[in-house]
Amino acid sequence: MKRIERPIYLDYCATTPVHPDVCAAMRRALEVDFGNPSSMHWAGRAASGLVAEARAQVARSLGCLPEEIYFTSGATESDNLALLGMMRRYLPGDAHLITTSIEHHAILHAAQQLEREGYSVTYLPVDSKGLVSAEAVQDAIRPETVLVSVMLVNNEVGSIQPLSEIGAITRSQGVLLHTDAVQGMGLLDVNVDELNIDLLSLSAHKIYGPKGVGALYVRNGVQIEPLLYGGTQERALRPGTENIPGIVGLGEAVRVTRQHKILEKQRLSQLRRALIAGLQENIPGVIVNGPSDSVSPHILSVSFPGADGEMMLIRLSGNGFAVSMGSACTSHSIEPSHVLTAMGLPREQIESTLRISFGYPTTQADLDAFLQAIQDVYRRAML
Amino acid sequence: MTNYKVCVVGGWCGNRMVMVAEHLEDVFGKAGFPCRVTTHSVWENYSQPPVSNLVLQLLPAFTAAETGCPVINIKPLLLDLDHPPTIEKIFAQVQADFAIKQHNPA
Repeated sequence: MKRIERPIYLDYCATTPVHPDVCAAMRRALEVDFGNPSSMHWAGRAASGLVAEARAQVARSLGCLPEEIYFTSGATESDNLALLGMMRRYLPGDAHLITTSIEHHAILHAAQQLEREGYSVTYLPVDSKGLVSAEAVQDAIRPETVLVSVMLVNNEVGSIQPLSEIGAITRSQGVLLHTDAVQGMGLLDVNVDELNIDLLSLSAHKIYGPKGVGALYVRNGVQIEPLLYGGTQERALRPGTENIPGIVGLGEAVRVTRQHKILEKQRLSQLRRALIAGLQENIPGVIVNGPSDSVSPHILSVSFPGADGEMMLIRLSGNGFAVSMGSACTSHSIEPSHVLTAMGLPREQIESTLRISFGYPTTQADLDAFLQAIQDVYRRAML
Repeated sequence: MTNYKVCVVGGWCGNRMVMVAEHLEDVFGKAGFPCRVTTHSVWENYSQPPVSNLVLQLLPAFTAAETGCPVINIKPLLLDLDHPPTIEKIFAQVQADFAIKQHNPA
């Protein structure tokens, strides 16, 4: 196999490199504006100004007010705060949550915790393309339903969920809607008013920001309980001294991705189409998982029938390519992806599945090199 | 314990690879084929496994031409440590190798 000149990263759904503009902004926050925003003096005021600017940047990207944005440690905390914070306002027997079977574990495990506490949860199925139907949401709503949580873009197959239709239903039924928008923020237009979203989680490190910071949008008037207690930071919903460099990084990451969103969406769509065509031409029998149109342009889930996905991943990694696979190791077994399982894929297909995801540094030359490498890797990973 | 070496090759799931290796060593011992069972993770070390008499791989990492010894795919053991057809296949190879060793002890 021909050696590539530099490593080629194709796992942007796992995390993204920090954009140089984000690095520069964070460095200023670390070195110059290091104050505590709660301090009354000049250093505190400077830091407080940075937080306010970042909050405004995030708010602009969502079409909401700055005071509706709460900074957190990342999407897992935001998801937990949204679900636990909302449901715990009610007695366990009085509140019902609806979510889907393909959510991130930050949602699914929070929902399972609520079940342990006595709350009722409905997990909606998806179709073979990884899409939940708005009708299923409608049918699942009960008088005691408080919250519906449906992700914007699935992180394994890229399916874009019909949030606009779901939002219309929840709004008309007086039920609140939360979305985990982690995988959609960088490329899709997300306007919380147009989509009737009441709560929204996002993460910085999926959009070229730093790890360890995220945000939760909470529509004005929607009340949720905090998970932590302490100071009055983030209006006491998320107390603790603010992670100023992280928050600045998130704000800058949102600004950068928003600036390039339209062109980047087109460019990545072309790359994705070309890679699918190349795979289908060179590897007979490959299966593209997920929808053909309602799909995010940066995610491609592909099954290579008869091959071992783990071996393919390891060989690709050894040759300088980073992708991810459709199953994960636990201490006692290999667990197939809950998303691909929910879509009805057989175990053998799941174990032959790789997720390839793209970002702004990805070029056609990268994918040409990948296409060349994958043919030998596939041949040698046949079971 | 003989000097017959079996290498269990695995990937990312190191725990499972070790569990399979320990189980097989136990099974071999009970069946009267005392073997030295080692492990080799291609995820940790993307290289050839140590020199062995038999390579048992949980993922299709090597060919017999690459290892210089028989190679058996044992992926079914990931889900069932006693998967009968796989255990049978392993034993057939080990029995054949031990028979040869008895005739040619050197």
